[in-house]
Amino acid sequence: MEKKLPIVCPSCESELKVNSMHCESCSTTISGMFELPLLLKLSRKEQDFILDFVKASGSLKIMAGKLGLSYPTVRNMLDDLIGKIEKLQNTPQL
Amino acid sequence: MNKFFNPFRYIAGGKSLLAGLLILFLTAVTGYFSHTHFPDLISIKLSPAFPLWYFVVQVFTNWLVISIVLYGLALIFSSSSVRIIDIFGTQALARFPYFLAAVTGFFSAMSKFGRYILYTRFHQGEPVDLTSTDVILVVFLMMLSLFLSIWTIILMYNAFRISANVKGGKAVALFITAFIISMVATLFLSRYYLSLVAG
Repeated sequence: MEKKLPIVCPSCESELKVNSMHCESCSTTISGMFELPLLLKLSRKEQDFILDFVKASGSLKIMAGKLGLSYPTVRNMLDDLIGKIEKLQNTPQL
Repeated sequence: MNKFFNPFRYIAGGKSLLAGLLILFLTAVTGYFSHTHFPDLISIKLSPAFPLWYFVVQVFTNWLVISIVLYGLALIFSSSSVRIIDIFGTQALARFPYFLAAVTGFFSAMSKFGRYILYTRFHQGEPVDLTSTDVILVVFLMMLSLFLSIWTIILMYNAFRISANVKGGKAVALFITAFIISMVATLFLSRYYLSLVAG
């Protein structure tokens, strides 16, 4: 089963931060307080869309064909994603 | 159901323009043979034997006027890069229900009812006896025409919403504005075309 990376707190719905990282090879654990990279703050579906978009060389036409959707639908999805990314970038970090 | 009211999630651009142009042409030709015309953006009416060019010009005018107005509004109010082929293509395809409306004109009950109204209200033509079957069929066809008009408006709205990437209240307000402007313009143009037909 593929585990889903939680990005919001299940208790208070605040944004989660990275507290520790672990090396499976030598069992080293690093503790600290790290921001999640912007792309990881997006949903899995949105991350997949970005990956597919890059693989399609940024062609909305290819994306539309691949997803079986019309060109304006895919463009609207991209525009919504751009809006979400801009909102995340403009949100002040606490 | 989603494809029924919003096929534009799956089809737009050149494909919808080609299919839409074919549908518009078939609507005009069918309307010519079934004596059904569309004197403004949404009206469906029985017509006398007008020449074919009138039906073609009227059907294409209805499509072009709303498409031009919606494209203008999309350019001003949409934050996305709107393609003209999406607006015109999806608006052409959105008029598919009017092809079905043109087909309903082939039912003789409708023309019989038209003659009945002419005689009883305006004392024109010969007396017409309507059977109960005629009345039932006319009521059914009228309800069908109403449904086809509502379906067309929903399709036109969804076509605009998808093509221009506008949402919510903004999309509704822009569509209503375009609709009113187009209604007035198509009514005005229709009167002009009818004056040409009348000579």
